[in-house]
Amino acid sequence: MIELRDDALVFRFPEVCESASLSIDFQQTLRIPDDRKEYPLPAGLGRFPLRHVDDFAGRVSPGWVEQGGVMLPMYQSEAMWLNFRAGFAAEYDAAYFFAVKVAAGKINAVTGQPWRDRLNQNPQDYLVVPKQPWLDGFCVAEGMIRQFVAMPLGEGYTAEEQLAGKAEWGGIQIMVVPMKREVFEARARKRAEWARSRCVVRESSPAYEMGLAPGGRMRQKIYKDRNSLADWDLEHGSRCFVHIVNSLVWRKITGQPPPSKPPTAAEYARAGIPWYEWYDDDQPALPGMDALAGLKSVATLKVEKGDEALPENESIPVDRVIKLTPQTPSREPSKYKM
Amino acid sequence: MKTTFGCFVRERRETLLRENADYSLRKVAGRIQVEPSYVSKIERDQVAPPSEETIIRLAKDLKEDSDVLLALAGKVSSDLRGAILKRPRLFAELIRQMKNAPDRAVLRMVREVRDGKW
Repeated sequence: MIELRDDALVFRFPEVCESASLSIDFQQTLRIPDDRKEYPLPAGLGRFPLRHVDDFAGRVSPGWVEQGGVMLPMYQSEAMWLNFRAGFAAEYDAAYFFAVKVAAGKINAVTGQPWRDRLNQNPQDYLVVPKQPWLDGFCVAEGMIRQFVAMPLGEGYTAEEQLAGKAEWGGIQIMVVPMKREVFEARARKRAEWARSRCVVRESSPAYEMGLAPGGRMRQKIYKDRNSLADWDLEHGSRCFVHIVNSLVWRKITGQPPPSKPPTAAEYARAGIPWYEWYDDDQPALPGMDALAGLKSVATLKVEKGDEALPENESIPVDRVIKLTPQTPSREPSKYKM
Repeated sequence: MKTTFGCFVRERRETLLRENADYSLRKVAGRIQVEPSYVSKIERDQVAPPSEETIIRLAKDLKEDSDVLLALAGKVSSDLRGAILKRPRLFAELIRQMKNAPDRAVLRMVREVRDGKW
C-alpha cells in the first residue's frame, strides 16, 4: 500500500514485514549550471507538495485520472531530486532493503530503456535503497548523472521525447519492491554478527504537463546490486505515477500556492549553502548506458533549436563541500539565509 | 509506569547521542531554537511540554513521529484538529468505531494512493 504523508509517498508492505516501509519525497534544489563542468550534490531546499490526482479530477486531464497517483508542481527549468528513507527494523538494528525503479516519461532513469513492470539485472534497471540514499538525475556514465530538470512536454527536451520520439507520458514513475523477509532477516543477522567481531485547466496554456529533461552533470554513483533477483519479493511490489504540473497553473488546479522558486546559482553561492559528496569508496557503480549517455542537455538543445538561452546558467564556484557518510546522510541544511 | 513526554525525549536524544555527538542537549536546543536549559527542564518534566511548533521541530530533529510526541504532550496537531472540527460528527464516530480495532484494520482505513493504467 502507498499513502501520502507529510508530502512524501510512503510505501508499506505490512504483509511482508512490519518494518518494510519506504518513504520517498521530492526535494526542491538548485539547478546546477549546464556548462560541461561536473558538480557535487546540491542541497535539498524543502519538499515539493504532493496531492492526490483524484482530488482534482475535474481540473486535470482524464488521462491523468486514468493513470492515478499523485501530482506535484514544478516551474519550467526547475530541478529536483528524490530522497529515499527506508524504515528501520529495530529488532535487527538495520534499515529494510528495497529495489526502487525510477522512470521519467516511462524512460528508465538508470538504463534509458522503456518502462517494464519487472526488475531486471541485465542491465540492472533499479536502485537499491538504503545503499542509494538519493537520485538526482539520469545515469549517463559511471559515477555521473545529468540532473532532473522540468520542461514542458511537447517541446522536445525531455528524455522521453529524445528517446521514445513522442511526448506521451511525462511525469515520474516509481516502483518499489521489498526484499524477501527471510533474505532480509538472514542478511541483517549476518550483519549484526559481523558488527560484534545503513483543469484541466482546460483553458489556454502555459502547458501544464511537465516531464523531466537532462540538465547539468553531477557526480553521483548508481550502485550495483549485489543481491540476486530472487532475493526481492516481486509478488509485493507497488508502483505510483507522479504527475508534474507547471507551477504557474498549480494554484488554478489545487487552490493552493506553489512553493516559491528555488534560488539561482548566484543566490545559492551568496547564501553559502553547502554542496555535498557521498563518501562510498568501496561500492561498485553501474556503468552509464549508451541511450542515456546520448541524451542532449536542455542547454545544448536550446542552442540547437535556436530557443531563448537557458536563464541563470553561468558557472559558479563550488566553495564548501560537505562529505556525507551513511551515518550522516542528510542533504537538507537546517538553516541558510537567502 | 506511563512514559512521560520529557522521559521519552531524553531517552530518544541520548540514544541518538550514543552514535552522534550532534545530539548533545546544547546542539539539539540550538537546532530547535530554544535555550539548552529549557530542553533540560523539558527532559526532566519540570515544565509543561512546549508549543506545537517546538514539538514538531523537536520531533524532526530527533527523527521521531511528530504525532507521537504531540500525543505524549497531551496535544493533537492543528491539522488534525482542523479536520475533526470541519466534520466533527463524522470523525468522532469514526474514531469511536476504530478505537479498539487492531492496527492492521486501522491501516486498511488509511487512504491509499491509487494506481491506474499506464
